[in-house]
Amino acid sequence: MAKDNQVKAPTKKLNKAYIKRYWQLYALIFLPLLYLLIFKYLPMRYIILAFKEYKLNIPLKEMPWANVKGTTDVFKYFKTAFKNIDFIRALKNTLKLNLLDLIMGFPAPIIFALVLNELRFNKFKKVVQTIAYMPHFLSWVIIANLVTQIFATTDGLFNRVFGTAIPFLSDPSHWVGTYVGAGVWQSFGWGSIIYLASIAGINTELYEAASVDGAGRFKKMWHITLPGIKPTIVVLLIMNLGYIMGGGFERPYAMKNNLVIEACEVISTFVYKNGIQQLKISLTTAVGLFQSVVGLFFLLTANTISRKLGERGIW
Amino acid sequence: MKKKLLSAVLAAAMVLSLAACGKNTPASVETPASTDTTSTEVSASAEETKTDEPDARGLLNGKFVDTRHITVELYDRNVDGGTEAGNNAWTKWIQEQMLERYNVEVEFVTVARWTEGDDIGNLLAAQNAPDICYTYNYGQIQTYANMGGVLDLAPILEENKDLVPSMFDWLGDAVIYQDLDPSTGTLWAIEGKRNEICRINTFVRKDWLDKLGLKEPTNKAEFEAMLVAFKDNAETLLGADASKMVPYSISYDVGWRAATLIESFMDPDITDKEYYVNGYDDRKFTENGTKEAVRLLNKWYNDGLIWHDFAEHSGSDDTTEDDMIKAGFVGAFTHNYDYPFRNGKDSINATLAAQYGDGAKFVAVNCFEDKKGGYNKYSYSNTGDRKVFFPATNDEPIASLLYLEFMSQAETVQYLQIGDEGVLHTVDAATGAIVLQAPDEAHHDYYQNSGKNIDMTINCNGLRLATPELTTLSLAFSYSDVDPEDVKTAIAVASKDAQIPPTPSVGDIQAETEGTDLSGKRDQTYDKAVVASVADFDAVWDAGMAEYLAAGGQAIIDERTAAWDATYSSDNLN
Repeated sequence: MAKDNQVKAPTKKLNKAYIKRYWQLYALIFLPLLYLLIFKYLPMRYIILAFKEYKLNIPLKEMPWANVKGTTDVFKYFKTAFKNIDFIRALKNTLKLNLLDLIMGFPAPIIFALVLNELRFNKFKKVVQTIAYMPHFLSWVIIANLVTQIFATTDGLFNRVFGTAIPFLSDPSHWVGTYVGAGVWQSFGWGSIIYLASIAGINTELYEAASVDGAGRFKKMWHITLPGIKPTIVVLLIMNLGYIMGGGFERPYAMKNNLVIEACEVISTFVYKNGIQQLKISLTTAVGLFQSVVGLFFLLTANTISRKLGERGIW
Repeated sequence: MKKKLLSAVLAAAMVLSLAACGKNTPASVETPASTDTTSTEVSASAEETKTDEPDARGLLNGKFVDTRHITVELYDRNVDGGTEAGNNAWTKWIQEQMLERYNVEVEFVTVARWTEGDDIGNLLAAQNAPDICYTYNYGQIQTYANMGGVLDLAPILEENKDLVPSMFDWLGDAVIYQDLDPSTGTLWAIEGKRNEICRINTFVRKDWLDKLGLKEPTNKAEFEAMLVAFKDNAETLLGADASKMVPYSISYDVGWRAATLIESFMDPDITDKEYYVNGYDDRKFTENGTKEAVRLLNKWYNDGLIWHDFAEHSGSDDTTEDDMIKAGFVGAFTHNYDYPFRNGKDSINATLAAQYGDGAKFVAVNCFEDKKGGYNKYSYSNTGDRKVFFPATNDEPIASLLYLEFMSQAETVQYLQIGDEGVLHTVDAATGAIVLQAPDEAHHDYYQNSGKNIDMTINCNGLRLATPELTTLSLAFSYSDVDPEDVKTAIAVASKDAQIPPTPSVGDIQAETEGTDLSGKRDQTYDKAVVASVADFDAVWDAGMAEYLAAGGQAIIDERTAAWDATYSSDNLN
């Protein structure tokens, strides 16, 4: 919908006639905007809980400011968080796992899209594509159980078949590999769709001209396809950098186990344990706020750098 | 034109879907049934006594003049083959009875059993919690109370004691006021009672012992020798599946699944104070002797006697271990004292018998001797179990109390537990014992989603029949598809040398609401210590313990010590 607006973006000031002419488009975008307002913007007023003492029985406005034995200290919960070794551990793991995800997981769909694009046998291509998409639709609970059945140290399928005892799940560094691998497996097929769409938009004349000039497949890929999808890659990279402090909850939660806890506790699981399970609402709101601010910082930085390098950025 | 029409349709569709979301009420909430039939009875009875005036509470002869409405929490265990948790013959019966007796409409709010704490926390935060809530975890109630989310029951009980005679009869002052804070006088929760206090047993495969010509183990050395024999004779016992042999199986929850072993390492003469001070953690993590028990587990693990992957299967829904036990790959395990008998035809023993013949079964044994030569272990305490509390949003505390009164009556509990004769139970001709059975197809609505409907009898956990004698007599018959003799043995084994944990009344311990992920740290330490190399054991255990204590464990121990000293002059209650 945002694209629709861009296509015929007015050069002059928005006026009534314009709205009248495209009212259907505005009608269409109104509801998604309303959704954003209600579910994304209005809840933001509760950010103030990070600076207050949460109570169950009084309205937000009346909740007292965070205090230590009566002395107001609005940053109390931020200080508590940074003194908590679980939080520090979760912070480090979040950065580490997301960075590894980015390094391993970001190029995978691009490479897959490029390879798929080179396939000429259409039926085979479609089958491969469908199979690669499928894991995206599986819940992490299912994937985590599959991973346990396949990679458990002694009873797992892998170690039984190969007669090995690789501690995929019980040794922290091996676990990180399993975690990242499962993430790549789950998402590379789905992630490639946007690149395939982008590749389809490249002018075929370029390829024909390159063929005439004697360029082989690899040369065409390097000099035409990749530059052709560069803007898409950059936009997605910037958005992914915005998530570097975030990340989902299901995947680390479903895949964790007690033996590798120092590697698998992340901010989202920390917030769940403390906020939802123990009702430490103020503490976890503070953590969430910190997480968002750092995420925003990464996003803005990446965007600025990309603009400086002559790319379009995300706005 | 086409485009206009399309976008109008799309926009309308979105509006509708959004509206549908807004109307979304919790699917689990059930409204009471058969209001029509009973409302006539109500008006009839009101007419008979119309000369009397209702009291200030709106009650006339113990019954509300105007119909009141309360909501009650109910666990949803999502049982395979069960009925809808909040809508079945039992919930309807309770609703009818409450309306008839007290003119109170009951609405059940179901919450998932294994995430009940999370769910109730969310409902409380949304100002939407049921009027009557219950949980096993007092620390959780304390947390809510600190945030102003719980009603103080002390004044409510004070003013309405006349309405709840059965509750005072059943629970007694000691249980009702167990959680009364001596300094503030607040009472955030009413404890329930546990009527079956057997807690835990270690089970071994009887047919394997017979096959190998072994006797049931009676001490740790014999138990270990038995595990070694199982391992060495895997080919004989399991044939082609020999590689799947698991001599002793535990789960990631080591503190529970090796509790008999851990408790045998504790000093049987421990004072009530020491037990209580370390008792916040029901997995005995900080008790004396626990480390040595885990050291033995660590040795067994490194000798290949314990399920190697136990800690990797850490989800609470992971049934891998149960499946292994039922498939017949496991030689011994420790669990609830009646674990192999639970679930009728799907029980462990019934499953084994179906596959390998009647001789294939697990039997309970006492095999972990303590330092005095007995089998030290802890049962449950009869007093103090599930805790009932009223959220601050409860605007019908008196009607809610009447619900507790109803649930405290012996007939109510008995009916919920054993139902009608012929449907849910028969009477053993020889002994007069009540023999429970699963309802047939025609009476499927009487299926009990929790054993003996314990989720409904909120202040009674365990069989409670008309007389204590009948209860004891019937206990062994309360499992369908199981040999009652095996149950009797299990009860006897679990009761041998079992100590009843002290239940002091020392008021609220604030530190219990402040620790961060203590149970997680405890389990992590247990697990890591069991799988460590023998040489690393001490380092792993000590590091884990230090982290647990620093995260709030020590603060709880200190505050409990201080509270005990402030309340009692001796280290023992009696």
